[in-house]
Amino acid sequence: MPPRLRLRPSHLRLLTLHTPLPQWTCHQCRLASLASATTPAIPIPQMLPPNTPMQHYPTSQPPAYKPPQYRKSQLHRQYQSLLRSTPLILLFQHNNLKSVEWMGIRRELATAFAKADAELGVEQGVGEGSKIQIVQTGIFASALKVVEFWDPTGGEAAHGLSAEAHKAAKRNAKLRHGLEPLLSGPIAVLTFPDVSPAHVKAALSILAPSKQFPAPKRRANPGYYEAGVQNGLQKLMFLGARVEGKVFDAEGTKWVGSIEGGMMGLRGQLVAMLQSLGGSLTSTLEAAGRSLYVTVEGRRMALEEEKKGDSGTGKTKQG
Amino acid sequence: MLTKYLTSISTSFSPFSPKSGKTARNFLALLPPNARSTMSIDVKLLNRDQAHMPAVLQLKFKDGKEMALDLEKMKIRDIQAEVDRHSRVLKRGEELNG
Repeated sequence: MPPRLRLRPSHLRLLTLHTPLPQWTCHQCRLASLASATTPAIPIPQMLPPNTPMQHYPTSQPPAYKPPQYRKSQLHRQYQSLLRSTPLILLFQHNNLKSVEWMGIRRELATAFAKADAELGVEQGVGEGSKIQIVQTGIFASALKVVEFWDPTGGEAAHGLSAEAHKAAKRNAKLRHGLEPLLSGPIAVLTFPDVSPAHVKAALSILAPSKQFPAPKRRANPGYYEAGVQNGLQKLMFLGARVEGKVFDAEGTKWVGSIEGGMMGLRGQLVAMLQSLGGSLTSTLEAAGRSLYVTVEGRRMALEEEKKGDSGTGKTKQG
Repeated sequence: MLTKYLTSISTSFSPFSPKSGKTARNFLALLPPNARSTMSIDVKLLNRDQAHMPAVLQLKFKDGKEMALDLEKMKIRDIQAEVDRHSRVLKRGEELNG
């Protein structure tokens, strides 16, 4: 097989060619009166090799720790990009599913997601970008380590396959991201491009139905009860989820799926809570002033009445 | 692994337990695609906070023998060896009887 990444000669041009050195001119030679003078020696800075760093690799192909032309390396890179771009991943174990069963499951998932999209009133929504795929567990685990423990900002060749990234993942071997026990055996991941509880709910009701998220009724969705789909679902085990970098078990994922109205709903709840908190705070702060006002006002009324009473009695005495 | 002579599998484990969870999942991954039509399989998944609880793996064979395997101590190879040992006996008996 020919190498998948071709080397283009235009990329091999050295950087130094783009920035030519300033031309040295002999100022003395320009004057005719000094034409017979001996040529002075070249100044020392120009005799030294140029200071600009030589780049020994094309800019489009920075050096990698493992040979990048291998499938494994490309899978590693692909999984890193997947992990960085999807905030919500559900992990499943697939026990010898047949391709027909996978087909049925994918079909059911697609219809459930389309329904969830339609309910939310979005075209090309989260459901469109969601995908269930089998991953190579070892490579996925390694990619997860790089994503968790390596900061890509800075560095000379800052890409996920670089030696730096490899070292960072290895150096932090004792750090734990929480998914280690799940990453063994045959693993499939369901990835969502956004945290959308409605879609989690749809996915769980199809792939791991429970009391909270019941499977669709036979009358509503007869395709779900086909033998192929049901056999496949029996062999698919829901293990856990990674939501915004945090690890959730089945129960936790159900909680995520049960958030009403998604992120907007959560924001609405927070706003309502803060508003009620503000109201109670102002009433608490007002209370002292108000009680003082009531006391003083009461006293004033009492004094006025007393005065009125006194003047009334005085009048009667005078009369 | 010889799974032909198994009639029932019941297991409960937490996938978050690094030892027993992995072993139990590996065992389930060894079953053939049509396993659910030839034997009854009962899998109960526990939560993350129940990871310390002992995992259970109980097998029943065609001759009625029941096997309870200790997932804390045994690795998947040991379990395979245990299951194969009894399955081979059954296989030999079947062959001799014709």
